[in-house]
Amino acid sequence: MGLTLDLSGLTKAHGEFDLGPIDLTVDEGVLAVLGPSGSGKTTLLSVIAGTATPDAGAVRLGGRNLVGRPPEARRVGMVFQEGALFPHMTARENVEYAASADGRVEEFATMLELDDVLDRRPPTLSGGERRRVALARTLAADPDVLLLDEPLSSLDAPIRRRLRDELHDLFASLDVPILYVTHDQRTATALGDRLAILRDGALEQVGPPEAVIRRPASRFVARFTGTENLFDGRIVDRTDDGVQVQCDLGLLQSGVSTGQPSAVTVCVHPSRVEVQARDAAGEPGTANAVSGTVARYLNVGNEYRVDVAVDGRSATLSTAVRPTTFERLEIDAGTELDVQIPRSAIHLIPEPPVETRNPPGEH
Amino acid sequence: MTRNAASVRRRLSLDWLSVALVLGGLLLVYYLAPLFSLFVSASPGEVLGRLADPGVRSAATTSLVSASITTVLATVFGLPLAYWLARAETRWTTPVLAAVVLPLVLPPTVGGVVLLTVVGPNTFIGDAATAAGLPLTRSLAGVVLAQTFVASPFVVVTAKAAFEGVDRTLERASRSLGKSRWTTARRVTLPLAAPGILAGVTLAFGRAIGEFGATMMLSYYPRTMPVEIWVSFVSLGLDRAYPVAILLVAIAVVALLILHTVASNPWD
Repeated sequence: MGLTLDLSGLTKAHGEFDLGPIDLTVDEGVLAVLGPSGSGKTTLLSVIAGTATPDAGAVRLGGRNLVGRPPEARRVGMVFQEGALFPHMTARENVEYAASADGRVEEFATMLELDDVLDRRPPTLSGGERRRVALARTLAADPDVLLLDEPLSSLDAPIRRRLRDELHDLFASLDVPILYVTHDQRTATALGDRLAILRDGALEQVGPPEAVIRRPASRFVARFTGTENLFDGRIVDRTDDGVQVQCDLGLLQSGVSTGQPSAVTVCVHPSRVEVQARDAAGEPGTANAVSGTVARYLNVGNEYRVDVAVDGRSATLSTAVRPTTFERLEIDAGTELDVQIPRSAIHLIPEPPVETRNPPGEH
Repeated sequence: MTRNAASVRRRLSLDWLSVALVLGGLLLVYYLAPLFSLFVSASPGEVLGRLADPGVRSAATTSLVSASITTVLATVFGLPLAYWLARAETRWTTPVLAAVVLPLVLPPTVGGVVLLTVVGPNTFIGDAATAAGLPLTRSLAGVVLAQTFVASPFVVVTAKAAFEGVDRTLERASRSLGKSRWTTARRVTLPLAAPGILAGVTLAFGRAIGEFGATMMLSYYPRTMPVEIWVSFVSLGLDRAYPVAILLVAIAVVALLILHTVASNPWD
C-alpha cells in the first residue's frame, strides 16, 4: 500500500509570481498538474523533491514532513525533462547507479523494453529510449513518490503517443502517488486520474479530468482545457429545470439551475455539440439550435474542427466534427449548417466577462 | 552583373579565410620555429654529455620531483575550491576568485618576495619550520612552495570552468536517486568535469616545471632546471645553456604525455 503525499500551505517566492499557497493531497494514482510554461510546475516539483526550499508550508509523505531533509533522504523519485541521464555511463550503468538491489536492473529493463540498448551511452539513444532509461533509473531507486516533469516533451508525435499509452499502463501497476506535470492537455487528461490546473503559481481547479473539462471553474481553465467557445452572457430567466441565458449565440436554454450571478460566461465545449444539415429535424425541447455558415475548417487529426459563423451575429462557434459526419454533410467553407447545443453542453462560469463588465448600479 | 558580384563576394570570402589561415599559421610558426632551432643548436652528443653532469642530473630530478609534488598539491587543494567557486550561490565567490587569480597576474619575482615575507628567514613560520628540520627556503620544500603559489591557480580556474560546464540537473537527478552530495560529486560531477580538470592539471604542471622567478627567490638551491639554465647561461655562455634547455623541454613533454596517458586511462 502506497503512502500519501500531502502538501499543505506550500509557498515559494518565484521571481515574477509566488507559488502557492498549495494545498494538495495525492493518494495512490496519478495527479496531472496542467499549466502553461512558467506557471510554477517545475518549482512545485523542486520543492517536493528537495532541490528547492519552500518559504512556508509542509510536504508530508505518509505523515512525516520532508521539508528540511536533503533530496537524497526523501525517497522522492523524479523523472526530469529530456531524461537527465548521466552521459558518461551506459544505460545499464545509469540504472545500476540508482538500483537499490541487485537484479532490479534486469527487471526494469525488461519492463520498459530496454534490453537491446542497455550497453549504449545516452548520446546514442533516441529520445524515446532516453525517457525509458530515465524512467527505469528512477523506478530502480524504489521511490515512495514519483514525480515526472514533462517526460514526453520534444518527442515526435507517434513516439509520444506510444510512450504515453505505456506510461498509462505502467502507472496503473505502481502503488505510489504520482505527480505528472505537463503543459499538454491531451497528455494530462489521458494519464491523470485527477487534473490540477496551475496558473501563475496558484491552483485554479482540481478534479477528475472529465469534470474539469466539462465544468471549468474559470475562463482560463476553459481555454486551457480546449474550450474555445466562451461568450459573455446574462441570465434572463430562472426556472425549475434550468436558466435562460442571453449571449452572442442567442437565447439559450441551459440545464444549469444553481444560483449563478446574472453576469456569466457561457462555455460550450466543441466536442459536445452536434452539427446538422440546415433545417434537418432537431430534437425540440432538449437542445438549442443555432444556425450559421462554415467560416473555416481544419483537419486536426482524428476529427475536423469546424468554425461556424452564427447567422446575424458576430460570434463564431467552434465545433468538433467526426470525419463521417464531415463527409456526409459535404462540409466546405460557406456550407450552411445548424448546430445543436444540448442543454447539458452549456456550462456557465460565474466569472463576469472582463471585457464588458458593467459598473454597478447600471442594471 | 549579379554573377560578377557573387564571384567577387566569393573571392572576398575566400580571401578572408586565407588571411585567417596566414595569421594563425604565422603564430604557429612563431611557436615552433624557436623550438626547432633550439633542437638543432646542440647535437644529441652534447645533450647526453650534459646529462652526465651531476649538477644537471640533480637539477632534472629536483624539477621533476618538485613539479610532481606541486601538481598533486595544486589538485588536492585546488579542486575543492574550484567546486565551491562553481557551485556556491554567494557573492563571496567574486572576491575569492580575484584572490585566486592574483598569483597569475603578479610577476613571479614579486610572488617570491611576497612568500619570503611569510616563510623566509627571520619570519615566525620560516624559523619554526627550520627548527623543526624542514626549512622552507633553500630546500625542495621552498621550490614546491614557490611553484604551488604560481601554478595552482591554473587548476582552480580551469577546474572551476569544468565544474560549471556540468549540468546541475544531473546532480539533482543523482541526489533524487538517493545519493549523497559527496557520492554525486565523486561519481557524476568529477567524471564529467575530468577533461577540463586534466587540462588545468596539465597547465599547472607545465607552469610548475618552468617556474623560475619565485623559485629563484625562495630556493636558489637545490637548483631546478630553469635555474640551472640561468646559471649555465650566466657563467658558461648561451652555448652551454642550450643542451639543458633541450633536456627541460624533453622532460616536460614526456611528463605531460605520461600524465595524459595515466589520466585518460583507456583501460579504465
